[in-house]
Amino acid sequence: MKYFKIKQHILLIGVMFMLPACSVFETKQVVDPNLPSQASVLTNATAVQINELGIGLQSAMRNGILSFRVTTGSIGREMYDLSSVETTFTTELLGTTNGGLSATTGYNASYDNFSETRRDAALFMNAANNSSVLNDTQRNSVRGFCNTIEAWSMLFNLEMQYQNGIRISFTDLNSPGDMLNPGPFVSYTAGLTEIKRLLDLGATQLGAAGTTFAFPMTTGWAGFSTPATFATFNRGIAAEVAMYQSDWNGVITALNAAAPFFSLSGSLSTGPVFTFSTTSGDITNPLYQLKNTTTAPLVAQNLFISDAEAGDTRVTSKVALRTAPRSYNGLVGNYDVYMYPTNTSPISIMRNEELVLMYAEAEIQLNQLAAGAAALDVVRVASGLKPLAVAKPAILGNQAALITEMLNQRRYSLYFEGHRWFDMRRYNLLNTLPNDLPAMQVYVQMIRPFAEVQWDLKHPQ
Amino acid sequence: MQLNFLFKDRKKLRLFSTKVFIIMKLTVFIITISCMQLSAKVYSQKISLSGENISLEKALLSIGQQSGYFFLYKYNEIQKARPITIHAENKSVTDVLNECLKGQPFTYYIENKTIVVTEKNTVPQIVQPVLKNIKGKVLDEKGQPLPGASIMVKGTKVGYTTDIDGGFTINNIADDATLVVSFIGYKPKEVSIKNVTSSITISLELDESSLNEVVVTGLATTIKRSDAASSITHLSAAQLTGTTPPVTIDAAMSGKIVGADINQNSGAPGGGISIKLRGLSSINGSSEPLYVIDGVFVNNSEFSTGAGAAAFTSAGTNQDQATNRLSDINPADIESIEVLKGPSAGAIYGTRANAGVVIITTKRGKAGQTTVNVSQDVGWASAEKLLGSSNWSLDAIGPQGQTKFDYIFGNGTHYATGDPSMPGNEATEIASWQKATAAGQIHDYEKIIFGNIGKIENTAVSVSGGTEKTKYYLSSGLDNETGIEQRTGFQRRSVKLNLDEKLTKFWTFSIGSNYLNTGNQRSFSGNDNRGVSIPYTLAYTPNYAQLLPVNGIYPNSPYTGDNPLAIVARPINTENTNRIIQSFNTTLFLLQKPSNTLKFAFSGGLDFILTEDEVYFPDDMQSQLTRPNGPGASRFSDNRSFNTNYQGFLIDNWKLFKTVDMTTQVGVVKLSTNNDFSWIQGEGLLPGQINPNNATVRTSNETFQHWTDVGYVAQQEINWDDKVIATGGIRFDKSTLNGDNNKLYPFPRASLAVNLTKFDFWKEQSVNELKLRIAYGRTGGEPLFGNSFTSLSTTSYGGLLGTLTPTSVGNPTIAPETAQEIETGVDMSFLNNRITFEGSYYVKNVYNLLNAYTLSDGTGVISYTAYPVGDMQNKGIELALGGTPVKQPNFAWTTNIQFWNNRTKVTRLIIPTTIVGGGFSIYGRNELKLGSSPSAWYGSPNAVDATGVTQPTQYEDAQPIYQVSWSNTFTFFKNFDFSFFLHRSYGNYNSNLTQKQKDLGGTSPDWSNEDNLNGTTGVPDGKARNPSNPNVTARQFIQDASYLRLREVGLNYNVPKSFLTTHYKNTIKSIKIGASATNLFTITKYEGYDPEVSNYGNQSVGASVDNTPFPSSKRIFMHLAVGF
Repeated sequence: MKYFKIKQHILLIGVMFMLPACSVFETKQVVDPNLPSQASVLTNATAVQINELGIGLQSAMRNGILSFRVTTGSIGREMYDLSSVETTFTTELLGTTNGGLSATTGYNASYDNFSETRRDAALFMNAANNSSVLNDTQRNSVRGFCNTIEAWSMLFNLEMQYQNGIRISFTDLNSPGDMLNPGPFVSYTAGLTEIKRLLDLGATQLGAAGTTFAFPMTTGWAGFSTPATFATFNRGIAAEVAMYQSDWNGVITALNAAAPFFSLSGSLSTGPVFTFSTTSGDITNPLYQLKNTTTAPLVAQNLFISDAEAGDTRVTSKVALRTAPRSYNGLVGNYDVYMYPTNTSPISIMRNEELVLMYAEAEIQLNQLAAGAAALDVVRVASGLKPLAVAKPAILGNQAALITEMLNQRRYSLYFEGHRWFDMRRYNLLNTLPNDLPAMQVYVQMIRPFAEVQWDLKHPQ
Repeated sequence: MQLNFLFKDRKKLRLFSTKVFIIMKLTVFIITISCMQLSAKVYSQKISLSGENISLEKALLSIGQQSGYFFLYKYNEIQKARPITIHAENKSVTDVLNECLKGQPFTYYIENKTIVVTEKNTVPQIVQPVLKNIKGKVLDEKGQPLPGASIMVKGTKVGYTTDIDGGFTINNIADDATLVVSFIGYKPKEVSIKNVTSSITISLELDESSLNEVVVTGLATTIKRSDAASSITHLSAAQLTGTTPPVTIDAAMSGKIVGADINQNSGAPGGGISIKLRGLSSINGSSEPLYVIDGVFVNNSEFSTGAGAAAFTSAGTNQDQATNRLSDINPADIESIEVLKGPSAGAIYGTRANAGVVIITTKRGKAGQTTVNVSQDVGWASAEKLLGSSNWSLDAIGPQGQTKFDYIFGNGTHYATGDPSMPGNEATEIASWQKATAAGQIHDYEKIIFGNIGKIENTAVSVSGGTEKTKYYLSSGLDNETGIEQRTGFQRRSVKLNLDEKLTKFWTFSIGSNYLNTGNQRSFSGNDNRGVSIPYTLAYTPNYAQLLPVNGIYPNSPYTGDNPLAIVARPINTENTNRIIQSFNTTLFLLQKPSNTLKFAFSGGLDFILTEDEVYFPDDMQSQLTRPNGPGASRFSDNRSFNTNYQGFLIDNWKLFKTVDMTTQVGVVKLSTNNDFSWIQGEGLLPGQINPNNATVRTSNETFQHWTDVGYVAQQEINWDDKVIATGGIRFDKSTLNGDNNKLYPFPRASLAVNLTKFDFWKEQSVNELKLRIAYGRTGGEPLFGNSFTSLSTTSYGGLLGTLTPTSVGNPTIAPETAQEIETGVDMSFLNNRITFEGSYYVKNVYNLLNAYTLSDGTGVISYTAYPVGDMQNKGIELALGGTPVKQPNFAWTTNIQFWNNRTKVTRLIIPTTIVGGGFSIYGRNELKLGSSPSAWYGSPNAVDATGVTQPTQYEDAQPIYQVSWSNTFTFFKNFDFSFFLHRSYGNYNSNLTQKQKDLGGTSPDWSNEDNLNGTTGVPDGKARNPSNPNVTARQFIQDASYLRLREVGLNYNVPKSFLTTHYKNTIKSIKIGASATNLFTITKYEGYDPEVSNYGNQSVGASVDNTPFPSSKRIFMHLAVGF
């Protein structure tokens, strides 16, 4: 009798041990509790997912701006970042470091940003192509938009890398495990050709994209938010590419196709912009700074003020005199860069002012000096200056002098927008950029990013 | 009979499955219990027997019932006995028996609680042992009673335990027996009682060799140190906290573990310590060991306060230099620490043990008198070193004179070029300097801020005691210290209860509950991204700056982002942690026989942490006035981490061929972690408001993490008479952190130890121990949470939600990185264990090292988050020599010297050379590069190598070439002890950016010297070291940080027992008075605040970056400890 009871207990205890063994020691698959998976948009994305990818791509375009502007602005001697918390802004970036730019330099940050934007565009296109909620016209709107943005972002990297060239291809982004094998670096010329091809392809696709985009356009694209109007932005970029190719007729052709975005009589400020907000998750204007900061002030290179023609409103609207000068590492800044009055002020992506200046350049290069000068006057007058005929009548018939004038107008109109350095390079004038300290030097191009170099070493093509 | 029967049966059942086996084990257990209940009786020694003409059989039965002895006799024989008449009152068993058998043809003898009665003529006459009763007392080396000491009668299985007064009584013991007296931590002693008539006092000697120390090595088992096959560092409470009170446990371990590289990350109160055991174990994860406290796997995370994150800057959170959560544990509660340094020792811990395991055992009650200990420390902290600052001068011929103003403030460039009336910036500075000098307003701001004396108060109360059945340890600690900077400090409050209960002879359980509350105010230091790090701003603040508050208002600093004095006084950076650590252990003996024990050990625990951080900058501070989102910012973080673990083990200990002790264990382990990290921050606060609700821009974030690991363990230990000890085992682990959550990864181990001195052939008496050992093991390092995910990130643009492609893709097939180690060593002790030597050599290979696989970033993807990128090797030597060179009644000297080194090398790499860790571009970074050490420094100049690629130059390693530590204890006049502990680290290099900051700011003490550095002539050193000098390379910044440091020194006086007895009549049992100091001096060529430094907290590589850290302090204490 006793034995029987004991046996029952044993069984009970045994079962107690065995039962949990089944469930307690299971390790269930954990899915990311914080973010949606990439795979979820690759096949049959929903309308909501398509919209989110479209917004994401537009948002991503803003990411490289800060790094790109400060790097090009410093090397182009437009401004200095007198940050007391990062010395390399005033040493490595200005060329004083032994051996030049470091292979691992942080000043290539925009390379990654623009590459990521390019991949965002590729992902968006991929999702749209595989989504059944879109018809072919709608898909074309996505493709046209994405190809334009891809070209736009590649152009930044190509100009920064210049003769180092860029990669223009990589394997299917979304097949896991293939390491996204990239194609080889192509030359600067080949890079421009590819960018032009993408822009032209995008323009064609926009032409077959119906009247609206298949995803929402943010308010910064007001006036450019339909496939047809967006195509004028596409042509604006195409004009810029032609400019870098010194294809002056190409510039004129592209600009004509960019009308009404391009207009000698219209507002110079017309153009798409990046907008910012203080909404959680959004970003504020990364170039915004309050005046007189001592932490990491962006200050104007002093010649920007002293070289300016008297009365140029672009000086007063872009820099502000500090109450106390800022000195750091042997450099002194008297003026703050002050282009954006608030932290939600928009940043121009491209505007008519630049198109007019490109038009002027092309005309001057094509020896249509009067047309060129007229275009320059559009910009001069809008900036509070007298027309050339009044201010500098001597240069009107002189192509070289007009080119100098054109570059000067570009310097002031496109101040701290990443053009000065490239303009000086295009005209082989880098040696005219000032070196405030004896050890400073002006780089011709950025160093190829460390990871890219190492990749090629490990995977020779 | 039943027992024997079932015993045989069990052997057969081994063929069956484990579960059946368990059931059968339980059968044995239940039946064993019932049998024991039937027969278990108290062996009472005094009996009474009265009767007229009773049969002998009846008499014996009565004796048996009263005494608990069994009787063995032949029924037929006993019937021949004649009836007896007896009147015995309270007599011993033998007396009564002798009377019963007087004149009878019978005799008897006693064997193992059994009395055998035989006919006189049938048994050869054996010499009847003379029995006697003795009383005794066991004392320690100081003459204090030792309760709980074990006394065995040699050659028998009879054992006794001393009572609370160290006393014992043994009755009916053979006249010539020998007692074996032992107690953990003391040398066992054999005492013959041949000449003892009634009482004996036995004194035990402390066992300095600690060979018999039991070390915890497995999840459920322990091993004697003399049998261990791996070098396991054991730190006792005396070693950890005996000399001087540490802030945190990890700080207490510094320099004391042979084979460990322990570094203090920041001098701020509350510490922040990084520990690397036997080199680098991971690149992806941290190389911090796994901590287990009383069976609870505790979390040792660092939670970011956000002081270095958005709103306050864009810096990475690892620059917050938060304290690690081990700082919550009260060092006063620690009984001992065992450190399993490598996979060969820690394999049984499996997938989380790649970086070693630190097993912490807290104090528990001992049976005996209740002990109350109260201790109070009062201490003072002051900066170990202040860097100082050079002066300014207008002296035309003096060192540098006005040129210093020119170099620092403008180099001759004049303000507003278009306006000649405006003076140059250096002229403004000269005017300020002249004004300050005239007014006598030259200030040493470093001294004002870091020149204070911090106060330290540690109060600890503990009550412990109990009975054989129930033991308890209850403690409470209150530690409070203020830093050398005002408004910094560290507080810890803890309550701990450890309870051990012996429910029955075969079932024990214990629980431990620990509530901890830690507060920490660390101010702002280290790398700066927003102009508010105090040491950073100090580097740029000339001594003529006028920053002292005027009418309570701090003037703005023209030199830095904010006024450092205002940063001291106004913003908040605090952390408060509430934590509960609960442990539960139970052991159930299913079988308890001399030749075989089988037990089931279950243990589990939970560790719940809630760390709340607050960072706040008032809206009217200088650095806030220019914030893009408006002035004033606050950020509140909640970091909740809930960790649980439990394990069940069956441990079978049995004998093979009588001399071979076999221990078999099988078990299962489960660990889980559930984290929820959230924060909300507000920028642009309403004036005076701190709640982020009152902010213009509010941002918040929420991160969830959860994972589960399950492991299955089996291990066999074979111990042949302590001569040869072999162990083999395997653990299989699965984890949800792996790509395949159900795949089991094996972690085997095997070890062999041979104690040559235990063999019969060993004749050399001066050598007490000569053990050769070899151990092999494998452990794992888990992927980090999220390593397998490829997730879109989200963004918001114009009020619309957007998704972005990941810049880092997950690895769906990710598996743990594994480390395999072979350790060989020899342990020796000589001259009665007065000299001990331990030497080990290990090779630890880390396979399938997880690291980001850096892709071509032109593809838009930076990397695979984690990928098995290659292998890494650590090799090292560890030597320890200890001894007691002098041992006189009035003077004793114990010394211990340890030497260790480790070298790391990447042995296989499938990815391109990759930057790892932190570090600042040209000033020194680390690279994962084939054939070199991941902690080696790389920096400028960059040069084009043979392959045509621009490569940085390689410099020295951040890892020391070797470390030596030397501890000494001198005991004199019995009641005084003096100890000191020196630690040398040689050949470790830091990237020193502090000096660079001070050079740029014109404040380095030697700024004005002209030593023609870096290819200059007639240029001041501060200028010549400036990176804008093209001759300056990373050589300037990567500096030798070798040091020799007096880590601990202490002098204690124990008030003599006689004095206490006379004056306090035993109410006070002990009084100890002492003084001690930590880091009293450091000898180093290194020019920063502290050669031990890290800007990046606990990361595997890239930690040794010195960028304006919080200065380290030395600490001086007075102690008083009273025992009741």
